[in-house]
Amino acid sequence: MTDITPNETLDCRGLSCPMPILKTKKTIGNMKSGQILEILGTDPGTRNDLPAFAKRSGHEYLGEKQDEGFSRFYIKVK
Amino acid sequence: MSQEREESAMMDILRRGYAAVFYENWPIWLGGVLLGITSVITFAWARPWGVVGGLRNWGDWFFKGIGIYSQAPASPFISTNSLIALGLLWGSFASALLSKQFSIRFSPPFELLKGIVGGILMGIGAAMAGGCNVGGFYSALGALSLSGIAMMIGLIMGAYLGLRYVYWEVEHISTGAAGGTADSGGKKAINLLSIEPYLGALAIIAAIVFTWVYSDMALTREGVLALCGVSLGMIIQRTRLCFVRAFRDPFMTGEAEVARAISISIIITILGFAALKWTGLRDEMVYVPQAFWFGGLLGGIIFGFGMVIAGGCGSGSLWRAGEGQVKLMLAVAFFALTVSLVEKAIDSSKSLTALMGHKVFLPDYIGYRWSILLLIGILIVYYLAATWNEKTEKFMVEM
Repeated sequence: MTDITPNETLDCRGLSCPMPILKTKKTIGNMKSGQILEILGTDPGTRNDLPAFAKRSGHEYLGEKQDEGFSRFYIKVK
Repeated sequence: MSQEREESAMMDILRRGYAAVFYENWPIWLGGVLLGITSVITFAWARPWGVVGGLRNWGDWFFKGIGIYSQAPASPFISTNSLIALGLLWGSFASALLSKQFSIRFSPPFELLKGIVGGILMGIGAAMAGGCNVGGFYSALGALSLSGIAMMIGLIMGAYLGLRYVYWEVEHISTGAAGGTADSGGKKAINLLSIEPYLGALAIIAAIVFTWVYSDMALTREGVLALCGVSLGMIIQRTRLCFVRAFRDPFMTGEAEVARAISISIIITILGFAALKWTGLRDEMVYVPQAFWFGGLLGGIIFGFGMVIAGGCGSGSLWRAGEGQVKLMLAVAFFALTVSLVEKAIDSSKSLTALMGHKVFLPDYIGYRWSILLLIGILIVYYLAATWNEKTEKFMVEM
């Protein structure tokens, strides 16, 4: 997980459902195929929601990394 | 030697069991099934569970405290409404600790404002519909009340409108993330995290002692209801069972998982409640709100809009507040104050009460058999429609 360099970072810390998903959806819309989006989040629900969102919309969920007091999630755009 | 090995094997089993219960995700359908069973047990013990009654009790106390109401409401430690809601809050708090998910989570100011506005709208809607998503919809359907259907239609419409607003907001308003706030105290949070499971265990023991003491004071009924609330809170927190998602997700992402879980849950509740009422073990008119159809429908629309803005319904705001989310704490507070005021206004006006509608207990009109079949049929249709939409995305709204 440490070798991932994201093309863009979306800060969703402090936001709760459904804002992280909607902001992710919007940001991905402006990205190119194969690029990697990093999402910073603090809502425990995001851990379930992001992989489910990625699966449904065909993007690749790469995983998450714990940071101090928040999580980093990675999605590869289809 | 072999005894030692057996002991370490036992420790391993326990450790894995703990991880399975508190660290891993539970399937949402399991949450629906457990919620349904616990609802029936709660009603069999004493009464159906609800959230709004407790919030109203707290709101009444606030207004009594500042001198606006002259009459004192029932004590929040005796009122079963309040005890169930307190139990739910405590259960989700304990469960979040046990899962290392408790932390005070701040949000950007605009998000906090949405919590407040959502809470106020939910207060108005719940007062009109005679309950929130639980008392006006979930338990009301279980109680074979027709206003539960009126509110269900309202909730679907309200969630749709709320989603349209949220889409608009994502395009036009930049809330900005809280940035630093999540970091502040990050170091401290890490240290706290390792002891959270122990605090959670203490919280559970405290709940059991509470029930024990209540039982010694001849308040067994009240004490166990609080414990039912604790169980409900734990189930909902662990499965993150969210009524908002049951109504919003089919429009937003097309996902139907939660809609299916809620449908299954209500079908279990209907069967259990019908057994308790049909056999005469419980009063037939329990949890039949006086809200068919106007109060249920319009209240459902207002409530549905509010819950999408707040990001949590009646039960959802409570469990997320128990998890430490400041936005939902504000939603709960303003929900409580608003529902107290609006219910007072409706109660004191005969014409307003009449406007909300009638109490319609379905078996009075079509008998128990057809009532049960009709309501279960409607939930199966909802289940199938949501699943069909998951494949076809026909109802999905594009951003």
